[in-house]
Amino acid sequence: MNVLDWLRRWTVPALAMCCLLGSAAAQETPAVKFVSTAAGPRPMEEQTARSVVRDYGEAWRALAEASKQSRPDLLGPYFVGAARESLSQGLKNQQKNGMRTRYLNQAHSLEALFYAPEGDILQLQDTADYQFRVLSDDQVVHDEHIVVRYIVLMTPGADRWVVRQIQAVPAQ
Amino acid sequence: MHRSPLLATLTAIALAALCSGQQTGLGISPTVIAGAEISIPAPGTGEATFYLASAAHVAKRKLSLGQPIRLSGQDLSIAGRYVAILCAGSCRSQAFFVTPAAPASLSFVVHPSRAWIGREGAISGVALPFDKFHNLVQDPVNVDFSIVAGGSKLYSASAPSRRGIAWFRAASGSKAGAAQLTASAGTVSARRALQLVASDPCRLQIRATPAPKGVAVETEPIHDCSGNAIPDGTIVTFTANGADGISTVDAPVKHGVARALLASSGNVVITAASGVVMGNELRMSVKP
Repeated sequence: MNVLDWLRRWTVPALAMCCLLGSAAAQETPAVKFVSTAAGPRPMEEQTARSVVRDYGEAWRALAEASKQSRPDLLGPYFVGAARESLSQGLKNQQKNGMRTRYLNQAHSLEALFYAPEGDILQLQDTADYQFRVLSDDQVVHDEHIVVRYIVLMTPGADRWVVRQIQAVPAQ
Repeated sequence: MHRSPLLATLTAIALAALCSGQQTGLGISPTVIAGAEISIPAPGTGEATFYLASAAHVAKRKLSLGQPIRLSGQDLSIAGRYVAILCAGSCRSQAFFVTPAAPASLSFVVHPSRAWIGREGAISGVALPFDKFHNLVQDPVNVDFSIVAGGSKLYSASAPSRRGIAWFRAASGSKAGAAQLTASAGTVSARRALQLVASDPCRLQIRATPAPKGVAVETEPIHDCSGNAIPDGTIVTFTANGADGISTVDAPVKHGVARALLASSGNVVITAASGVVMGNELRMSVKP
């Protein structure tokens, strides 16, 4: 059996298995690692860093679920302001066009860049690693593994940190 | 999510096998400024479907090959990573980034809204430049900060934004009153106001006169050590220690003066305090 035969034989079952695992994974809170708390000018307390990691992970879980189902309401309370507006618009476009996007197998490495003197603005850099899939009428039209950098603004809400701005930026 | 190396390898092999017919590259510039229009060459003949996908914008169009695909400024107004996909039998795709346009507004967050005078680092402000589509402008922008109080400049500094953020911290000066804070970057600016309030009283001088049911006490006009009148509502505590025991009254400052009536008789010692400042001590004999 040459390599091409082997690929033909195993491609479909392997992909099916990956898709199943990927689907299950998208519903979990993604892995988020805080690689540095050296942001200034305000020092960040450990408890704040833990909350940020928890809420940022939940925000991505919500985004993955909302994108999977093309439902803006699933963004939940984790996005506000410009971030909520633009993501909601994207999800409405998906609905209108019979498209869906998937963020699978996510892993995020967060670094705090700026923590405002009064603790009301937190800027983060996220190096996100995930599988990005685009589906049209349930057919995959694009599937790629991405490592992309995001600049994120979070602000404290009543009981959690919320994402106010999230912008993917080109590699430096 | 952590996958096993075997699973990762299988995924890569499977996707590579499936996508072996998928070409990459559509001739789009790797970065496009928000709001710009672009044209994507789509050579060939026949029908095709074009997709544009990002977190903030998704589009789908049926088209005929041979005509360039035009993306409007509205399609590309939100900064981020986009994927353009052209499918005609097989699919070709390209990722590109939309980057923010020139600053069109400044978000300016100032703390506090009311600051005691004479404090180092009492006032802080953060400015964030945004383009007209509300994308955070991350290229460095010079932001000029100033604080004007009582007609004179209390603080002035220039700070380059770093990844879309510029900030300052300043002392609160020595004059009570309204202060105007301004942040400006090129042609855009934002203004905020805050109230600078007098610090703790510098000295507390009281006088007392007998009254029908005790002693009427009042302070002289109270100022901080810079000569600013203490704000109305500041509490002064009067205490009378006499034959009847200790009588205490908390009185708010009104028009710079605090007043109280102390129910006490006999030989009375009267004192006053506000915050950490103690007033003079009065001794008098009060008829019951």
